[in-house]
This record gives sequence, C-alpha cells and structure tokens, in this order.
Amino acid sequence: MLLDYALDALIYTGIYAILTISLNLEAGCTGLMNFGKVAFFATGAYTTALLTTSGVPVIFSAIAGVLLSAVFGLLVALPTLRLRADYLAIVTIAFGEILRMFLHNEDWLTGGPIGIRGIPQPLYQYFDGSYLLFYLFIVFITLVACYFIAELVINSPFGRVLRAIRDDEDAVAALGKNTFLFKTQAFVIGACIASIAGTLFAHYLSFISPDMFLPTLTFSIWTIMVIGGRGNNLGVITGSVLITVFERGSRFIKDYIEMPFGLEPYNVRIIVIGLLLILFIIYRPDGMLRERKSRSPL
Amino acid sequence: MILEIDGIKKSFGGLVALDGALLEVRNNTIVGLIGPNGSGKTTLLNVISGFLVPEGGSIRFNGMDITGFRPFEIARLGLCRTFQLTRLFRRLTVLENMLLASRTQDDSLGSVFISRKKLALHEKADAKRAADILDFLEIGHLGNEYAGSLSGGQQKLLNLGMMLMSEPGMVLLDEPVAGVNPSLANRIFEKILKEKEHRTFLVVEHNVDVLMNFCDYIFVMNRGRIVASGTPDEIQCDETVIEVYLGG
Repeated sequence: MLLDYALDALIYTGIYAILTISLNLEAGCTGLMNFGKVAFFATGAYTTALLTTSGVPVIFSAIAGVLLSAVFGLLVALPTLRLRADYLAIVTIAFGEILRMFLHNEDWLTGGPIGIRGIPQPLYQYFDGSYLLFYLFIVFITLVACYFIAELVINSPFGRVLRAIRDDEDAVAALGKNTFLFKTQAFVIGACIASIAGTLFAHYLSFISPDMFLPTLTFSIWTIMVIGGRGNNLGVITGSVLITVFERGSRFIKDYIEMPFGLEPYNVRIIVIGLLLILFIIYRPDGMLRERKSRSPL
Repeated sequence: MILEIDGIKKSFGGLVALDGALLEVRNNTIVGLIGPNGSGKTTLLNVISGFLVPEGGSIRFNGMDITGFRPFEIARLGLCRTFQLTRLFRRLTVLENMLLASRTQDDSLGSVFISRKKLALHEKADAKRAADILDFLEIGHLGNEYAGSLSGGQQKLLNLGMMLMSEPGMVLLDEPVAGVNPSLANRIFEKILKEKEHRTFLVVEHNVDVLMNFCDYIFVMNRGRIVASGTPDEIQCDETVIEVYLGG
C-alpha cells in the first residue's frame, strides 16, 4: 500500500515535472508570463480521452493532442505576443478559464461536469498487478525525452535568442531578430509539451473532469518552477519532486500523525507551500538550482 | 550617400519632436549629431532604426526606401544601432552577447534538430571572431563573465563589440561615451576611427570635444530640425550653433 502511494507520488512528480519543463521554456527562459498553462494540459488530456474512448490508439491521440495544443498556442500567441508581458498573463489566464468553462458546459462533447470515465490504460492487460510501476516507467521515459529536447533547444543559438528576449526584447530586435517569431515558437513548443503531460495524466487516472483543470494547477506549476530554479531544467525537476512528494504525502499522512487543533494536514500543506514560496522569493530568488552559465563553445 | 533622411516629421501628442529633419551621410565617414537636450536627436535615431514610425518624410539606406520597416528588418539590412543606456543581455555571458550579435549564425528552431554539426562549426568560427574583437577592445579576459557583472565602461565596450560582431554597413551610436571617463572615451573613439574604413558611423553625443576630434562632419539639431551642418571647424565658428547652445 505504501509502495503504491510512493509510485503514485512519483508518477505525479513526473507529470508535473514535464509541465514545469514546458513552463520553464516559456517563462523561465523566454520571460513569457503564461498563466494559462493548465489550458494546454487540459487540451492534451481531453483530446486523448475523447479519441481513445472512441477507439483511436493512444499514440495517435497523443499526437492529435499535441497538434491541437499547438493550434491553441498559436491562437493565443498571435494576438498577444506583440503586446507587453502583462497582457499575455491576462489573456492566458482567461484562455484557461474559457477552455474549462467550455469543458464544463458542452456536455455533448466533454461529458460536462461529470467528465469522461473509462479512459483506457494502455497495455494494462500485460502489466496487471504491476501497472503503476510500468506507468511510472512510461512517465519517466517521457520526462527524460522532454528534458533533453528542452535542453537542446535552450542551449542552441535559437535558445540563446530566447534567453536574450527575456533580458531585453527591443535590444534583440535591434540585432535583426524577429522577436515575435521567436516568442511564438517558444510558446507553441511549451503548449505541445504541456499537452504531452496532459495525455499522461488522463491515461493514468482513466477519468478526467473539468474541476481537475482549475487555475490553481497553473499556480502550482509556477511555484514548482520558482522554488526549483527558473531557467534550470534539473532545478525544476528537483522542485517537482519536492513539492509533489510533499503535496501527495500530506494526503495520507493524516492517518499517521495528529495535527494540533485538529488541523487537516492537506490544508496546512497550502500554507506551507505558500510560505516556502515567499521565503524562496525573498532569500533565494534563483531557486534551489541556479540557472547554469552556458559553456563557452571554444 | 549611404543614408539619406528627408523631411522626417514625428510628434508625440501636441509635442513636435521632429519637424522635417533632413540629413545625408556619406559612406565611410564618422558623422556627429549634436544639439541641446530635447532637440530630437534620440527620436531621430529611433525613427531611423524603425523603433518609431515617422508621420512624414522618407529614410533611404543604400538607396533603398526603408521608411516604416520594422526594427529587425532594418538591422538585417546592416543598419544597426546602440542604445543611449547600454542595453546588454545581463544574464548571458559576454561571449554569448557577442555570438548573439552575429548575423550569419542560423538561429532557427529547425536547425536545433537538423543541422547540429553545422551549427557547432559555425559557433566555433563565431566564437573565434568574437574573441578577436573582445581582445581588440581589451576585454578579452571577460568572455565567460555574465554581461550584467561588467562595469559601466566595460559594458560600453561590449556594446561596441557586439556592434562590430554584427558587421553592419552603418552604425547609429546613441551616446557611446556618456558617463565614461575621458581617457576611455578617447579609446572608444579611437576604436571607432579604426573601423571607419569598413563602416559608416552616425554618432549622437553630448561630449562635443570628443566629436570635434573624431568626426568628419557634424549636424546640429534644434527643435526637431537640422539647423546647421559642416566640418568640425566650420561648426565651431557657426553663429547659429553658438546661439542654440547658449540660448542667445
């Protein structure tokens, strides 16, 4: 039982780590204030849920989710990325909520507030009994792949332009770079990776509903990124481990420890994470693992 | 003429910043642009580099009409600018700042996955060129430091280095030696002078003494217009200029 809890926590860690890597690419490296991360996560989850429950193989539904997220990413990016950072934050929050309302109200397509049940778990029949372990393996492989892709992107000349945009966008334009194009591409890659995390999430739970995609999830991912280390992919993975294990752990710890004043550990968690975030912002704004200086090509 | 500016108008609300400014710059010269505060020098630079769109007039670069072009398009044509307050990428290393300025490296997303070998080769060549420029500017030892950790003077030098790295045909320098001690200011202008055979410079500067020593030609602005122009010697004796500066 305890092992199952541990595996569950690790699977969540992996999924959140993938989400945070995608946020890190946009916000940590490029400085794009995406506060609607959850929308692209939901896009991946709902696309795969709808398609696989109609018999489409997972691999195709995952690709469909990525493509749809890319389209959504583009639709959000095109009107907003020409504007200043704060407008992007507003529009992305709104987009996340609009999408959630759509999922909530369009019963004919999404099952409304009840959500979608019976999302198939791929290869379940072969791993009966040890499915959690198998799924953790899948999540881990995906995380490693996303990590390497993100690292490749960030440490390339393309990524250098993204990091420069974060510091001073006009100065990048003065060097002859079409900053709008770079920002759009970063935003779309971020949307695609978030969609992959959503796919993993839907097939893990085999049940999804709109209330799993509240804006608080976006803020959790931001918290993980800030505590883990903006701009450092290993840092945000470490942050995911810390926050998720703590978060999942507090769900069952109430069976083992007595809290004073009858406090619910799961609620105390929110206070603790909030405090942690404040302390990090004040005393260690770079997060647990600082962004690494990029190596000289000489 | 590498740059021809004709009748540029630009106003901000009721304030007329540029009122038909007109100037021409010859190839391989260093041209100064002076004038009292608020005379429209920086606005003119912003218009030339595409950061502001003028309401009237035209800008021609190498004979091509570039009025209304976007900043990155103008920079790609080889007309580059620096900013009044040094604007570097603080969280990038000095070398990375230099590499970023290279106009020949392929920085597309596709290249990240497709042509990695080619990227690495080009990166090496660029880094070598960057190191040479940094050595020329005497900040070669700082290549792996964060640009944000450099002193003000070093940042000015790095800005100049980035500009050289991008190998532009023409450079607009907005106060390249503001807040820099006199000996460094002279050194910076000596570097600019050495580059004159390759490029053309239009320099906005308040340090008139330095300009008089290094410029081939000077334009004087006041209230959004060019009120005088000539060689440094002519300008020093020009009555309008004295009037503009002393408010007589």
